[in-house]
Amino acid sequence: MMHMKPLPWFSRNSTFFVLAVPLLLISLVTVLIGDLLIERIVTVLFIDVILVLALQVFMGNSGILSFAVAGFMGIGAYSSVLFSMTPAAKAAALPDLYSFLTQIQLPFLVSLLIGGLVAALVAAIVAYPLMRLSDAAGVITIFSLLVIINVVLVHWSALTNGPRTLFGVDRFTYLGTTTVFCIIFLAVAWWFKESSTGLKLRASRDDAFAAASIGINIVMMRYLAFVLSAFMAGFAGGLWAHFITSFSPYAFYLSAMFVFLAMLVIGGPNGISGAVVGTVMVTLLREGLRSIENNVNMSKILPSGLVGFTEIVMAILLIAILILRPAGIMGGTEVRWPRGLFGLRGKRGTPAKDV
Amino acid sequence: MITLDFIINAISLGSTYALLALGMVIVYGILKLVNFAYGELIMITGYSLFVLALGPHLPWIIMAVLAVGVAVLTSYLTERVAFRPVRSNSFTAMLITSFAVSTLLQNAALLIISPRARGVPLPDVFSESVAIWGQSVPIRSLLAIVTSLLLLGLLVVLLRRTVLGIALRAASDNFRMTRMLGVPANLVISVAFAISGLLAGVVGLFWVGRTASVTPTIGAAPLLVAFVATVIGGMRSLLGAVVGGYIYGIVFSLIGVLLPQGLLEFREAFMFLIVILILLFRPEGLIRGVNSSRRV
Amino acid sequence: MSVLSVDNIFVRYGAITALRGVSLSVAEGELVALIGVNGAGKSTTLSTIAGGLKPHQGSITFQGEQLQGKSPEYITRKGIALVPEGREIFPSLTVAENLRLGAFVRGSRVEFQHDVAEMVELFPILGERLRQAGGTLSGGEQQQLAVARALMSHPRLLMLDEPSLGLSPVLVDQIFELIDRLHRRGVTILLVEQNVERTLAIVDRAYLLHTGQVEVEGTPAHIREFGNVEGVYLGDRGRDAGRKEHQ
Repeated sequence: MMHMKPLPWFSRNSTFFVLAVPLLLISLVTVLIGDLLIERIVTVLFIDVILVLALQVFMGNSGILSFAVAGFMGIGAYSSVLFSMTPAAKAAALPDLYSFLTQIQLPFLVSLLIGGLVAALVAAIVAYPLMRLSDAAGVITIFSLLVIINVVLVHWSALTNGPRTLFGVDRFTYLGTTTVFCIIFLAVAWWFKESSTGLKLRASRDDAFAAASIGINIVMMRYLAFVLSAFMAGFAGGLWAHFITSFSPYAFYLSAMFVFLAMLVIGGPNGISGAVVGTVMVTLLREGLRSIENNVNMSKILPSGLVGFTEIVMAILLIAILILRPAGIMGGTEVRWPRGLFGLRGKRGTPAKDV
Repeated sequence: MITLDFIINAISLGSTYALLALGMVIVYGILKLVNFAYGELIMITGYSLFVLALGPHLPWIIMAVLAVGVAVLTSYLTERVAFRPVRSNSFTAMLITSFAVSTLLQNAALLIISPRARGVPLPDVFSESVAIWGQSVPIRSLLAIVTSLLLLGLLVVLLRRTVLGIALRAASDNFRMTRMLGVPANLVISVAFAISGLLAGVVGLFWVGRTASVTPTIGAAPLLVAFVATVIGGMRSLLGAVVGGYIYGIVFSLIGVLLPQGLLEFREAFMFLIVILILLFRPEGLIRGVNSSRRV
Repeated sequence: MSVLSVDNIFVRYGAITALRGVSLSVAEGELVALIGVNGAGKSTTLSTIAGGLKPHQGSITFQGEQLQGKSPEYITRKGIALVPEGREIFPSLTVAENLRLGAFVRGSRVEFQHDVAEMVELFPILGERLRQAGGTLSGGEQQQLAVARALMSHPRLLMLDEPSLGLSPVLVDQIFELIDRLHRRGVTILLVEQNVERTLAIVDRAYLLHTGQVEVEGTPAHIREFGNVEGVYLGDRGRDAGRKEHQ
């Protein structure tokens, strides 16, 4: 009978679809179930996916660990709320805020964009020289960036309310919003990975000298990935800020970074599949462990409660993965539409045409 | 004001930081491991003191020795259990492992003991002062300086006079070649981690001595100090680490009195800005070394 | 009596099969060379013997014991010392400390002063620099230090990987003269070199390697006759030139 026409574009990008469709399904099922707790968990899940993708965009392609993702998330969070909060809320929460900022109020989506852009701008300004460094020096300088961002966020009280919690943010982020943006950024991360910049980055990571000798400007490639990563993290920070509605600078520091790292490494840092799979797995695990923690705490079996249990299990799991399966669950490959299923071809080869 | 009190405190701080940096570099030099779990060794020392104080009464010095022993043991164990299996993997994998170990230890303290600060026993001498040239100087600061110099002296003897020490320094220069001369890799690494634990433990005694308490996150600040001091000293040289620690301690103290109040809060940010600048423009650190060979 | 026997080893280096069925042997007191162009597999062979690489096929027997796959530390303890290409002395250690570490495998049986005196006799220049840091030595001195350090372990088999690399002609002379002297003292040596003429002039036997296989083996005369040595190095014109020299 009729053969389905091969769709080469689809097969080349099947990874994106194989990941996006289940995510959409998760969202749909969540809406159908209608449980508020599950909706909250899934909303945050999608935000986490964006953040882990932000990490993957830089770390997965360049091989350099970026601790700064949490910092850019913070920059995005604070930037976006500064523009989305009503003047009244700002006057109450940030009395020392510069007056021109207090006056401004912008729509939610615009403020998200601003959050991403400010983060990207900061990255664009400071990061270029850092991209020259590799290995230990590269990681330490990027880590230093995180510390500096944290110190600034904690002490620039006029903008951030200092180390204290910032209140008064409107709850604008809902499941639909995060689903849409998650899919969008999934596409962006995939596009970047498969773009010439992404390819050149990965080539340079395997052999820096060889790459340089064919004219690849490693520094520029890394820079582009870093700025993109910052934008994504900043945008996600804005999403998260308008979900949680109150937060302090310490939400954007090492504990957060640990979670993102765990998600990416457990899933597999070499591709977007790893980012998605890892985030889903770790989220499931965390929620499961949390409910155990809560039950134990409520029943008062242990005097001071079960605190930190979730983190301990995650840390052990992370160490185990690094020892036993360093490339993560995905093992360095991406999910793909299986070859030949429904007549659609996988990545290799076009089918023989009927004569 | 640059008084005697200030000078002693600055040097005392520098001494503490020097030991901290040394403990970090001794592992980094050989393994290229940036050990994020290093700060937790100080936390472990503090909690050991706390736990020991709950038991039968012991003289403080005994508790101190035991607490440092626990730090040494912890350091050794983290290497055996967590770092050795990933040693052949990439440098990034080891770093992430150390980050995971750090989280694990912090949350273990959170879980097993408490999220709240816990009091730590201190010798009476830590709260006493002595009068020098008409000024009151905390004995604790003097003890820190003396202890550091003693430890450094011992280490110098170990590193210069014993074969094991020579092997450690060689491993720091060129680990592969050291193995090819028949030096067992695991032995060298275990010793390095043990020394790292010893230094962190001793620093830990003085660190908790400042507040007489310990919290699960007490290791975060010393870790950052170790990073900065290590980078200043050039990351590869043991002598550089010591000098870097002293420089950092003294500069930090100076900044504390020289900066206007508004900028003082950003002191830490400044230090890390310096870290970035050093790594960008003078990665071999501020100390001129003797190595002319190719560095990896 | 064969000290070292390499039987038909196949070694992978990344995705490439660097050695394809290499066999060689070294008898006690012999000076044997591996020659061949870059990439022929000479250094890979030494690395494999020393334990840096593991053959996926074949065996390496040293004094009756199979050593393939064992760790570098173990192999060194058994009596094989490798002076790697690039010397790799410890720059921040003094000359004396470098030597001391060379003797590590002998454990507590080291009479350091006595051994150092022996080394100084062989390498007078090192005697002047005992307290100097290795990193401050010149290239030639570092090469001597590397060899002395290896000798400190009293090895049964000394392996040298391109000791003349990067040295000026005068120093090259010195190195070959040193190797010859060691040979006459009875040290068993396996030498990898690109300097074919100087090498063939002093060795007992040699193996000509090409793309991971032994092309010719035998005495220097045999190699000169049957090995495409000049052709490999100098091209066809070189071959004629080389022939003229031998006449």
